Amino acid sequence: MVEVSLSAFAFLFSELVQYNQTQVDNIAELERRLEDAGYAVGARVLELFCHREKGNRRETRLLGILSFVHTTVWKVLFGKVADSLEKGTEHEDEYMISEKELLVNRFISIPKDMGTFNCGAFVAGIVRGVLDNAGFPSVVTAHFVPMEGQQRPRTTILIKFADEVSHMMALLNIY
Amino acid sequence: MIVCVAVVGPQNNPLYLQSFTEADDALKLHHIVHCSLDVIEEKVNNPKKSGSTLSETFLGLLYPTENYKVYGYLTNTKVKLILVTTDLDVRDVDVRNFFRKFHAAYVDAVSNPFHVPGKKISSKTFSSRIGGIVKSFGPGSPP
Repeated sequence: MVEVSLSAFAFLFSELVQYNQTQVDNIAELERRLEDAGYAVGARVLELFCHREKGNRRETRLLGILSFVHTTVWKVLFGKVADSLEKGTEHEDEYMISEKELLVNRFISIPKDMGTFNCGAFVAGIVRGVLDNAGFPSVVTAHFVPMEGQQRPRTTILIKFADEVSHMMALLNIY
Repeated sequence: MIVCVAVVGPQNNPLYLQSFTEADDALKLHHIVHCSLDVIEEKVNNPKKSGSTLSETFLGLLYPTENYKVYGYLTNTKVKLILVTTDLDVRDVDVRNFFRKFHAAYVDAVSNPFHVPGKKISSKTFSSRIGGIVKSFGPGSPP
């Protein structure tokens, strides 16, 4: 396992965000670009980790791929497993991965006029890349969730699976 | 003796096709690879019928033609690796080893940030690695 310097990564990531900032006019476009960058990483991450960490097993179940993201991907990318994995209460096909402090956000501060922009969009892109290429198309976004008693808000990655995923699971009778 | 290896993407688009023999018509080998895609689809979409587990990557012998045997392997991203060989007595463990090394080479080729997923793999390193793996294929090859 290769270790990468955190400060080198933080520097690279801040440059990535600044570069994209000069190319776009609004926040939504910036978020989309960060997500696209993460998507490319996610696609490769899935291929690499399944081969390296999990031997010869393919993930065909929803919970299987979610726990793969939550433990294996997080562990190898960020050095620890994600804080929690929850199932959404309102909709059947929504899941949330929460993290007290995302590694990519540690050295980033958001100015007040950027509103709800979250650089965790990069991580959301990684998760979307993994799920999409494993055959579970979804929409993944990153949100700040303020917590009482803590200065910095918690970050939640919201995963909403596409309709065809629910159909496929119903057809295969597994969940 | 291995005659041909192929990498086919999730939408059945060919990503890499290499034949290792001058004797046979390259087009015929392409046709055989193409036909084997149907067998893979059938195996993947009907797990109960074929009886194999849904989450296994090695698909095994797909179908034997008159003088070829075709083996298949499915990665986690629905990318299919196909092997065509003329050997009559190929050991299962040799084929599994071969696919493991093939998969490792494929993963390295895809990790290239300049490689566009869905386009053909044009890396020379990948070609030379595949050539090396094919040469060392045979009874008694190291794991």
